[in-house]
Amino acid sequence: MSHTEHRWLAEQLPGWEREGIVTAEGARRLRERYAVEPRAGLAQMIVGAIGALLIGTGLIAVLAYNWDDFPRWVRLALALGPLAASQAASAWVLRQNEAAKPWQREAAALVQTLAAGAAMALVSQIYNLPGQWTDLVFWWCVIAIPLAWVMGSQSVAIAYLVGIAVWTVAQAAERSNGWSWTDVADVRIWFPLLLAGILPLWPGPDLRGRPAPGSRLMLAAAALVGLFAVAAQASAGGRPDGEPQRAFFWLAMLSSVVVLLFPLDRDGIAEPLARKPQVLLGGIALVIMALIATYEAPARDLVTSVGFALPLGWCWLLLAAVGGFAAIAFRQGRFAVLAVAGLAVVPLLASPLSAADTSGWPVAIAYSLVLLGTAIALIALEFVGRQGAARIGATLITLLVILRMADADLSLLTKGLVFIVIGAGFLAFNTFISRRRVTAAGGVPT
Amino acid sequence: MRPAVVVFAVAVLAQWLLPLMGVWQHERVIREGAAVRVRCTSPDPYDPLRGRYLMVRPEETTLPKPEGMPEWGTVPVWATLVADADGLSRIESLSLVPAAGPSVVRLAAVVRTWDKDRDTVVVQWPIQRYYLNERLAPDADRLVAERWRTGARPVAEFRLLDGRAVLTDVLVDGVSIRDAVRPRAP
Repeated sequence: MSHTEHRWLAEQLPGWEREGIVTAEGARRLRERYAVEPRAGLAQMIVGAIGALLIGTGLIAVLAYNWDDFPRWVRLALALGPLAASQAASAWVLRQNEAAKPWQREAAALVQTLAAGAAMALVSQIYNLPGQWTDLVFWWCVIAIPLAWVMGSQSVAIAYLVGIAVWTVAQAAERSNGWSWTDVADVRIWFPLLLAGILPLWPGPDLRGRPAPGSRLMLAAAALVGLFAVAAQASAGGRPDGEPQRAFFWLAMLSSVVVLLFPLDRDGIAEPLARKPQVLLGGIALVIMALIATYEAPARDLVTSVGFALPLGWCWLLLAAVGGFAAIAFRQGRFAVLAVAGLAVVPLLASPLSAADTSGWPVAIAYSLVLLGTAIALIALEFVGRQGAARIGATLITLLVILRMADADLSLLTKGLVFIVIGAGFLAFNTFISRRRVTAAGGVPT
Repeated sequence: MRPAVVVFAVAVLAQWLLPLMGVWQHERVIREGAAVRVRCTSPDPYDPLRGRYLMVRPEETTLPKPEGMPEWGTVPVWATLVADADGLSRIESLSLVPAAGPSVVRLAAVVRTWDKDRDTVVVQWPIQRYYLNERLAPDADRLVAERWRTGARPVAEFRLLDGRAVLTDVLVDGVSIRDAVRPRAP
């Protein structure tokens, strides 16, 4: 049962008790078995975060104005004063323990985070320090994340995830210049370490912490963007002569699979797709890359990228993660995500069969067929009573037909008629699926 | 003591330590360092966290390759500066071996790989940004551009101590650029 269903059950139980449908003991046992995760006042947290964000960004803007008429010590006091005040406020909130309201924790943690960043930026400004702003972001993230742990702040956690993704992309971009001034960090080591910085909050020491839906989206997006950046840096192979990053394509595919297959507990699996952004983002990225590979030149590049990727340590690390996650997903019966993840295997299988400098058409055609097979599998799984994604399967088939029609040598009239037929078929299938689900749910629309 | 309190205390300490370390290091250079002036260029870009600044680029950036310079990668080098009769400094020598002295500055260097002979390096100075009030920055940029057309170059003034440099001013015609563009009191 999903969290939504747990919540629905919790709302029904008092009524059922009154009407004698369940006993008080039975209701208690049901509440225990299907416990509702406390939401800690989402609206309150959002209000707290927005207020803190306004104060904090206002603070940064006021300080970044560069108070030209003030001596250095006054400007330093302006920078460090708000930090001291925000730390005192956070300490007060922390002392309140459970009595502190969620919005107070959220606001205090976020204001302190922004004040710490403002202090660092202003010191850097006062002394005309060199370096990119992304270097500041790294240290800002490092000194802010403990606040997310101790205050349980979702907004600081989100800011941290955005920060580490931005920093990782900046480092990868710096490395891909091939000619860089700065000591570029090796994000193959740093990104996983920084991402692990979120573990004390989610899942936390008791392994029960779960991000709110908005935070899940940020977590999945940061992981995907960061892994893409690491793939870009890893595929540069540490070569200083700016060798083209030919391993990136397949490494990016494997990165998407890691995000897509990330293990979930039983409740997580039961949740709807909209509450599983890692599946959505990882799957979309993978399908887009697979659709691109249905063309000749990208298909050839993709197969070539396997040869460049396999000697890299990062590639084997990704393969190990994919293997482990796939085994867990198989045991949990997550066949729909496994079917989509299978798209990344095609270039690996095609690589030994393709001689260098040969046409990419065999692989492109193979990709079209595998995508078609994946779409059929997604539809079929739903019809055999498994967790499938019939609508996504139908969308995939529609996209494939549109792509093939777009580059086919047919008249505009023929193409137009085919598009009308596909569109009508797609809508009819959607109607059919909706009716089928209503029937399966006993008349309740899903 | 609760673990949360300990983590919070460590975070608070780190949040003070980072900016204060910067303050201590750079205050010492400003207080005790030797004053140096080099000719430079100064366009006017923007930093999302720190506001407007003049990008300071000392003119002297391409120099003969020092002994033992690796072909690839950026490495630290120590440059010994010498002042001309007009008070402007230039690089007298470059060394891969750490050097000491009141006129030694630590730079970053990389071999010019696009040169056929690969016998020169490009150096990057530790003075790159001079932050200015957003009201003054556009005027400062305009002033530098006007002087540039007449052949006059801005001059970066920095303090130097133990190889570390802190940029203290940018001068145009010998006058601090802040003073040159600051609106006069009626």
